[in-house]
This record gives sequence, structure tokens and C-alpha cells, in this order.
Amino acid sequence: MALLRLLAIRALTMGLVLVTVLFLMVLILGATGYSDLILRNIVREELRFIRQGLAETIRDPAELERALEKIRQDREILYGLDKPWYTRLPQMIVRVLTLDLGESRTLQTARGSRLVSEIILERLPNTILLFTTAWFVYVLIGIPLGVYLSTRVGGRIDRALSVFASVSYAVPTWWLALFMIMIFAISLRILPSGGMYSSPPPEGGLARFLDLAYHTILPVMTLVLAAVGPVIYSTRTLTLTTAQEDHVTYARAKGLDERAVMYRHILRVAAPPIVTGLLLGLTGTIAGGILTETVFNWRGMGRLYWDALRGTPDEAVIIGLTFIYTLIYVLARFVLEVLYLVLDPRVRY
Amino acid sequence: MEERSFLRIFLASGPGRIGLVFLGVIIAISVYVLTQYPLDYGLKVWNNPALWADYPKEAPPIWIRLFGVNAVPHTILELRTPTQRDPNGSLYTVGLEWGDLPPRFISLTLGKIDFHRERPPVITLSLRRPDGKEIRLFQHSPLRPQANESPPYVRYEVPRRFALSADTTVQSVVASWLRSEFNLSITASALRDHVPAALFGTPVSDREFRPLPGRYELRVRVDTPDPRDTLEKLTVVLGGSAYGLMGTDTIGRDLAQGLLFGFPVALFIGLFVSIITTFVGAALGILSGYLGGWVDAFIQRFTDIVVSVPTLPLLIFLVVLLGSNLFYIMLFIAAFGWTGLTIVIRPMVLQLREGQLIEAEKSLGASRWRIMARHIFPQLGPYIFAQLIFFTPSAILTEAGLSFLGLGDPSLPTWGQILERGFRTGAVYLGYWWWVLPPGLLIVFTAVTFLLLALALEPIVNPRLRRM
Repeated sequence: MALLRLLAIRALTMGLVLVTVLFLMVLILGATGYSDLILRNIVREELRFIRQGLAETIRDPAELERALEKIRQDREILYGLDKPWYTRLPQMIVRVLTLDLGESRTLQTARGSRLVSEIILERLPNTILLFTTAWFVYVLIGIPLGVYLSTRVGGRIDRALSVFASVSYAVPTWWLALFMIMIFAISLRILPSGGMYSSPPPEGGLARFLDLAYHTILPVMTLVLAAVGPVIYSTRTLTLTTAQEDHVTYARAKGLDERAVMYRHILRVAAPPIVTGLLLGLTGTIAGGILTETVFNWRGMGRLYWDALRGTPDEAVIIGLTFIYTLIYVLARFVLEVLYLVLDPRVRY
Repeated sequence: MEERSFLRIFLASGPGRIGLVFLGVIIAISVYVLTQYPLDYGLKVWNNPALWADYPKEAPPIWIRLFGVNAVPHTILELRTPTQRDPNGSLYTVGLEWGDLPPRFISLTLGKIDFHRERPPVITLSLRRPDGKEIRLFQHSPLRPQANESPPYVRYEVPRRFALSADTTVQSVVASWLRSEFNLSITASALRDHVPAALFGTPVSDREFRPLPGRYELRVRVDTPDPRDTLEKLTVVLGGSAYGLMGTDTIGRDLAQGLLFGFPVALFIGLFVSIITTFVGAALGILSGYLGGWVDAFIQRFTDIVVSVPTLPLLIFLVVLLGSNLFYIMLFIAAFGWTGLTIVIRPMVLQLREGQLIEAEKSLGASRWRIMARHIFPQLGPYIFAQLIFFTPSAILTEAGLSFLGLGDPSLPTWGQILERGFRTGAVYLGYWWWVLPPGLLIVFTAVTFLLLALALEPIVNPRLRRM
């Protein structure tokens, strides 16, 4: 029961985060006049449809205009455009929540739709694909390597690693991406410089999948290189600190074999803080993901930011993206925190 | 006593010493830039394409020649002070050590000319070669005064550029000079693409020239009929394929200048943001820990929320809607950065609050604010200072990331912006390494500097590692 209560509290906090971010966004949108702009765009779109319908029945152009003007005023009252912006805050929150943000300036989906929600939802799976792949790879490399190194402290690899971990913190992921492209795609010409598929993409499911995998290597390698250092280092340090505690010495004194000591007495205790480390690394991975997608022309949401920022910024798309990123981030955080609660029985009481 | 021993511990550590040396380099360059560059450099110079017209486009740095790459150094001669002045005008002389390859082109740019008499000034350019031969290459005088004008007459307010090697008059001048000096009969039109080769070489056959390395002397004579006549800009360019220490970008900007200017900007962004971040984080942590009660609960919940917000997407959102002014950008970065410090400081304050010192203060009747400001803060001071250093690189990295997305402040060139230009114009795919690698390396260098300093400070200030 205590666990459920804690989970509920975490869920509530995360919900609160989402609401706060939404409220902040909507407040800024209102105060800067963008919410009006978005609503007016929506009204204009609707009028375009209505005009087509009305033109069939009303032949006189002057009368058509008058009828349209009447409808326009009705619509503006309906959307609350006649009242000050802060009266529309709840309405705007719902709009952002449902990605009902009208049409983009120029961006389109592959099918040619300019609806913000469709543009973003088209890109979402690609981002999740890249993000989770990189995530799994660096957890699978980082944690075992960190544990292994905790048994070899002070060695040459260990020292090299601590340098690598601190340097990787100082290297911007996106610049590393540029660097990797210059080496692997431009100089050595062994990996593609960007994109998700070759053009034209190969036929057939397996060939397509292999092509995608081939294009995933360089972005994932970049993200992993940027994020794995700190993971290895913190795992190593946490494992090491735990290994020096009394209960471990006691376990060894009992005559348990090294494997049992490592898994049951060291890792079991060190696991929760390691998860916390992963939690803290999340921001970096998401931010790194946005810029890495950009550099590798990976058609995900990060690249969409870049496309939306080119020339005149496409505000509606940026608003939608910011919300979806917050959502993903909050969900990922929640999953990790649940994991933490499950791993560490001590916090439950 | 205590401070001295801190300093000794700090200097004894390798990272501390290296970090200090690096920091010294960054500060020295920043001071140099601040004294040498105008503060509005970004708008007036860097983002003003007209100023870079004389520079080569996408040229690698000169020192690639050391690695055996054949490249002609691009030479820009800005003639400012005459070597000789007399009542009839002035003479500008420049000596040039020239190598094995002729320049790609030769051009002359004349800036604003003011003259006062009917007769305009006359500008004459001649070249003296290592073999002692001399050629008068070009002569020009601006348009005479027109009927509706009154002195002073102004010409070329927008600087005028003469592409000498492509000029047909210059071609025939060179052709006739070749005839008289080398007895070579060549028509002006046949010489079309070979003017630089002819000037910087000796003919071996028709249209073929052997390079003539050595010391050349370029002379520009400006004859002024009136002593008040002035010429504001006089530039001779010997076109090449490599330029300067760091090369140039697509519009010819000297990357060395942009990279140098990035130093004070990065230092400023890093320190400004981290000072605000540290101040807010420490203040909230102390308030939360010492006051307790609803203030504590509120600050903790607030911190919980801010720490769970993805920074970059919200930063992009804020900068797009509220404008990419550097000051705003720095405040936004600080607004999301303080949480870590608050979370760490709070338990430290809780521990201090129970200590005997604070108890004694309380019994003496000191107010809560006085205790926080005079007794709690100083005890945490060194730790907070180390955090300030530690926050600096992340501020620099965040700003660089925003700049790379094209959200940088256009009035101040930063390393991130240089990289953004490079990426948008495809420098990465064309292999323009001199454009892509140095800005990134400088970002890393600056971040590493502060990380090293933070690393060296840690054993000194971390209360857990220190006996309290």
C-alpha cells in the first residue's frame, strides 16, 4: 500500500509539472499575442471551407462577403477573440494538450498535410526510435562496464575512463555529431552522413529495416559516446562505495562467493543510486537528441525544431513540439522513478 | 592561515594548475579582444558582408602549406599611411615576399575620395619585380566635377573595386610591357587569364610563364592637385586560396576574428549565468533549510517541478517567443539551472542549523536573516563558490546549443553561431574542417578549463570530504 501511495504522489507531481509547463506556455503565448494569432489562423481556415460551401448557394459576391463577415464575427465570439487573452487560458491549455494548433506556415507531412498535430505525430515515432535505441545501448554498455571497472580501480583503463567521462561532459553532443560525420561519412565514406533511409529506399521489409539500421549507426554511436562516460563513471563510483561498506565485508566473511557478493550485496544496494544517475542523465540525452537529430537529418521531432526555426519561426509547430517533449520527458522520468521505488525498499517506509 | 593552505592544496593538484593556466589564457585573450575590438563588432563588422568583399570565400588557413598543400596565400594590403608625402601627393610602398605560385587575381579598391579642384586626384599602381623590371599597371582618376556640383566633390562613397587582372586595359598594358621587356609578342586577349602569371613570372614560351619568386614591391602613387584632397580607403588584394590563421567562411569572414571574439562572450555568458544560478540556488536552499515550515515545503515542491522540466525544448520555446536577445537567453538558462544546488544545500543547512554555533547565536538574540547571511552562508561559501565554477561550462554549452539551432543573439558572434553557419551552408559535407573543428574545440577547451578548476576545488570545499 505504501508503495502505491508513493507512486500516486510521484504521478501527481509529474502531472503538476505538466500543468505548470502548460500554464507557463499558455501564459507566454497569451501575453505575446501568439494565442490570438493561432486562433485567427484557425478562423481563417474555417472560413475558407465555409466560403467554398456558400459560393454554391449565394451567387451575389457582395452578399457572399456579407454572409462570410457575419460568420467570421460569430466564430471570433465563439473562440473568445472579442475578449482579452487571459479569459481564454483554459481553452488554450486544451488546445495545446490536444495539439489543436491549426496549420503550420510551410512545413508539411509526407502526405502534404499542414496540420500541426499531424506533422508532429508523424515525427514522434522516429524520435522515440532513436532515443530508446541510444538509451538501451548506453545502459547496456555503461552499467556492466562500470561494475567491471569497480573491480579494477586505479588501473590504466580506470584512469583513462575518468578522463573520458569528464571530457565527454565538456563536448557538445551536436558538435561530436558534426565531427563523426566528417570522419565516418566524409573522410572514410563508410557510413551515411544523415537521413533515415537511402534514396530511393530499398524495397521489401528486411532490406528496409537493414537500411534503417545502417542509418542509425552513426547517430546512436554519437549519442552513446556523449552519454556513456558519466554512466560508466557513476556506476563505477557507486559500486565501489558500496563495496567498501561493512555488510559487504561481512558477506565475504561468511564465505559467500564473489558472484553472490557482487549481485546480492553490492549491486542490489548500489542499484537505486545508479538509476538516479540515469534519471539525471535524461535531460542531457533528450537535449542531445534534439540537436543530434538535427545534425543527422533524422526525421524526428528534434529535426522538426530545426526546420521550424529556419527563416520565420513556425510558432505553432514549436509550441506543439515543446509540449510533446515535456510529455515524453515527464513520462520517462516517471518510469525511472517507479523503477527506483521498486528497487529500493527503504524509501517505501 | 586557512586560506593559504587552501591555495596550496589547490595548486598542488594537477587539474588545478592546468585549469589555472587555461583560465589565464582565456582571460588574456578576452582582455585583448575587449581592448582591440569595438563592442558593436558583431553588428558593424562580423555581420556586415560588404566589409568582407576583399576576403577569399571558404579559404583554408595559410598554414596548410606546411603540410604540403599547394595554396596561394590571399594577401590584403590595406594602405593607410603613406611611405612618402610631398606637396603633390603621396606614395604608398609595400614590399612582398612572393613564392612559387602567382596570385589568382589582383584587385584595387578605392574608398571615399574628396577633392576640391577641377582636376581630380590620379591613382597609379605599379609593380617592381625581383629582376629589377618595373611595370605601371593601372592608372585611374575619378569622374571630373559635373556642372551641378560644388566642392568638395565626393566620389566612391560606396567603395569601388577594380578587378585589375580581368580589366582589358590592364591586359593590353601587360601585353605591351611583355613585348618591350621580353620581346614576347602576345595579344591582350590571349593574355586574358594569364595576367597574374605574367606579372609574377618570366615567359618561357607563348602563354607559359616560369614563376619568379622573390621580393616584389608594390607602389601606389596618389597625385592630389589640392593639398586638402583625401582618399579614405586604398586596398590592394592579391587573390589566393588560403587565408589567415583560421581561414574564412562562405562570405569571406576571417574566422580567426570570430573565434577570438567568442572568448570574452563565452566567458561572460558562463560567469553571468552561473552567478545568477548559484545565487538563486543557494538562497533558496538556505531559506528552505533554515526557515522550514511552509516555506520549506513550497520551495521543495517548486524545485521538484523545475527539476522535472526538459530544459532545451522550453528554452527554445522561450527564445522563439520572447526574442533572441543575449540577456534574455542568459536569464532563461539561469531560470532552469538552479535546482541542483538547492537540493544539495538544503540538507547541509539542516545540519548546520542544529550546530552549537547557531544555537549560541540564537540565544544571543540574532535575527533569522542575520544568522542566514552572516553564519550559514559563510560556512557554505567555499562549496557554493565551487558550484559556481562547476555551473559555468554548462551555461556555455547550453548557449552554444541554442546558437547552433539559430537562436543566438545576432549582435554578438559566438562559437555556436559560427558552427550554425557552417552547418547551414553545408561546410560539414564539403569537408571545410577549418570552419567546423576550431569553434567546437574552443567550446570544449573552455568547458574543460572550468571543469578542471571545479575538480581541483572539490576536495577543498566538499564538506563531506572535510572535517567540520
